Amino acid sequence: MKLNNYKNILLSGLLVLAACKPKVDVEPASNGGVDFSAYIAVGDSQTAGYADGGLYRTGQINSFPNIIAEQLKAVGGGNFSQPLFSEAQASGTGYRKIDKFNADGTPSIVDVPATAVRSANPVLFTKYTGENNNYGIPGIKVIHTSIAGYGNLNPYFERVLTSSYPAANTTYLDYITAKPYTFFTSWLGNNDALGYATAGGVSETLTDKSVFAAAYSAVIEKLTAGGKKGTIATVPDVSAIPFFNTVTIPVLLAAVQRAAPSVTTLYVNARKTSDAGTATYEARAATTADLITLTFPTSKLGVNGYGVSPLNPIENQYVLDANEVTLVKDYVNAYNQTITSLAASKGLALFDAYAFLNTVKQKGLLINGVNLSAIYISGGLFSLDGVHLTPKGYAIIANEFIKATNAKYGSNVPQADINKYNSVIFP
Amino acid sequence: MKKVLLSLFFAFVPFLIFAQGFQVNLEGQKQIGMGHTGTALLLDGSSVFFNPGAVVNLSENYLQAGVSPLLFKSGFVPTGSNMQYNTADKVATPLSAYAVWGPKAARWKLGLGVYTPFGGLTDWGNNWPGKYTLTSLDLKTIFIQPTVSIKLADFISIGAGFVYNHGTVNLKRAIPLADANNPQGEAELKGSGSGIGFNAGVFIDTKTGLTIGITHRSKVNTKLTDGDAYFRVPASLQASFPSPNTFKAELPLAATTSVGFGYSFAKKWLVAIDGNYVHFDTYKALSFDYANNTNVLQDTYSPRNYKNAVSLRAGVQYKACDQLMLRAGGGYASTPVRDGYVTPEVPDANRGFYTAGLSYLVNKHFDIDLSFEYEHLASRTQTNIETQLAGTFKSNVYIPGVALVYHW
Repeated sequence: MKLNNYKNILLSGLLVLAACKPKVDVEPASNGGVDFSAYIAVGDSQTAGYADGGLYRTGQINSFPNIIAEQLKAVGGGNFSQPLFSEAQASGTGYRKIDKFNADGTPSIVDVPATAVRSANPVLFTKYTGENNNYGIPGIKVIHTSIAGYGNLNPYFERVLTSSYPAANTTYLDYITAKPYTFFTSWLGNNDALGYATAGGVSETLTDKSVFAAAYSAVIEKLTAGGKKGTIATVPDVSAIPFFNTVTIPVLLAAVQRAAPSVTTLYVNARKTSDAGTATYEARAATTADLITLTFPTSKLGVNGYGVSPLNPIENQYVLDANEVTLVKDYVNAYNQTITSLAASKGLALFDAYAFLNTVKQKGLLINGVNLSAIYISGGLFSLDGVHLTPKGYAIIANEFIKATNAKYGSNVPQADINKYNSVIFP
Repeated sequence: MKKVLLSLFFAFVPFLIFAQGFQVNLEGQKQIGMGHTGTALLLDGSSVFFNPGAVVNLSENYLQAGVSPLLFKSGFVPTGSNMQYNTADKVATPLSAYAVWGPKAARWKLGLGVYTPFGGLTDWGNNWPGKYTLTSLDLKTIFIQPTVSIKLADFISIGAGFVYNHGTVNLKRAIPLADANNPQGEAELKGSGSGIGFNAGVFIDTKTGLTIGITHRSKVNTKLTDGDAYFRVPASLQASFPSPNTFKAELPLAATTSVGFGYSFAKKWLVAIDGNYVHFDTYKALSFDYANNTNVLQDTYSPRNYKNAVSLRAGVQYKACDQLMLRAGGGYASTPVRDGYVTPEVPDANRGFYTAGLSYLVNKHFDIDLSFEYEHLASRTQTNIETQLAGTFKSNVYIPGVALVYHW
């Protein structure tokens, strides 16, 4: 026999050994007595998988409910359908992407055009008629859930209803409870505060606290009918998101000073008090407690004294000023009291998204070798709109829902591998 | 206004570790068969490694070579998951070769050893949860040791060898930056370096069947001075990751102090025990110095804080007949890696090992040695302090081996 043959025998012997993989003993997956076979996801844009300023196929596929559903398969979870845009209309309602980096290091962000628009006025999207388990409707507030005809106002909702504009009269509550289900997640209430905040406190209102409580209770009453189990989440602190923390007063001031070194103060049109009553506004010197929206067109600064003169302050709609921040926080805290006490009284699992995202904002997040934070683009959690999450961000949210579910119900739903999901896509 | 601050994107910390996992205790087939004892034994030319002080007592001259194909199999289950990820099947080939020569009945002998006492071959692939800490590592070291051994008196001899080490490393990890075509980027560090040290020992023969050996193998600080670093990232970010780049690093290969006893209590029987003390506590931190830094790619400093480790070994040899020697042994080795510092390069843990071997004496000048070793690493559930990689590692090692020994 040649030496080569000996070598082959030795190697094949080793490959036999290769069959004996070390077996790591872990706690087996278990449902803790919860029937996960028919899971539905109730919520808004975050539930729908909205990202980068739009709803599109890749975002939908990486929605946190879809990630949860995949993990539920280990504990008896069934098929989970989503109202996906077709491959041909994958860009859906359109979204934004980074085209390149400018010489100064800022990203150039461009629109990817919509492909799923069937009417421009009113805006209507391509209908989805198949099975659906993901009831996330971008833009929906808790107070919208029982409005008949809401589908005529929100094209994302109209899209999934069997009836069409202008006769899309099914209420959201009836829509989500029409089909049998055994387990639900609900992450509603974000827009009740966020709508107001992202509009700089103009053109949108904060949902009244008691109205929120009544509407939220009605949703949970209906979802838990027959003792159904579920996991619900609190409303994040709106000031935790990069939408309000990227274009800051110090950043703007520094930019202005490069052109006009004598400028020491920026002016904003700000709410006079944090009382909930009718707002009055006045121009005043900006402070770091005033949050500027990510959408602020910085080219306006300095033109006819814009932003640098009390006579021409930065407009309302670009500023969530200090009083507005206080106001929104007060409302969000009240909403979260409602959510927390309902979770307790109905025996539901609770994911405290408010606490989680505030911790991330303060400390960042280091998971499996990746540093994540609430910083725009480089933080890896938030998509280009500064409000909604990246696929990795949604995977982390999915795991937080799973952890909360396991903690409450004694189940052992395995968590997803967040490193299978990407952050912002770079050119 | 929307300045991209990539510097916080990820902690780019390279990550070489030398644990007992990297200390490849495979320096002679006869010794492997006896639980890798040998500090106080006179089995063959591999005494050049095991105890230079013993070499002069070998009754013959030797020329020999062996190989121990090694399969290090690790599995990982992330915390909170039930999915197990396994390393790919890759076979490393630790080698050893020795030459020993001296005039008959002289009070001195010369030796030369070539062996591979540290190394690692790990391939977790591109799709496991720890890919941003490591995807693959291929580390090789080769030690060359010219040796002289002198008999001071009938019962005591000493010996020492100068050690030159040549090491190569190739290490890959994913970078969490995606573009339209690639879900992740990749960093590859490769380079080679050298270091020097010594290996010295004392051998005592009590003439009662009991032999005693004491050795010290020094630390070999291997310096990589001109390693190549390659980074593949989205094109728009390439400027932040200069590629190709070069780096400097030091790989401290730990010193080992050993004490061994051999005892032949009957004509056909030989037993041995060895204790090793491995001085890993000099390994405080690992630093990487890139020639070309950016705000993203900084020089790194990673605390390791190793502790010293011990291993205890025992083995037995039985001469079945004139042509056949049978061996068995085993031992236990403690890990130098503290909790919180375990990494996937070698997911080290306390380990037990079990060995068996035989020699077939073809004629009076020629032996064929066979050995087999199985190592079992305790399962270890860890959250790494530096990367927060959280999960449970478990590893097994399978090592067959063969050597051809010519002696005269």
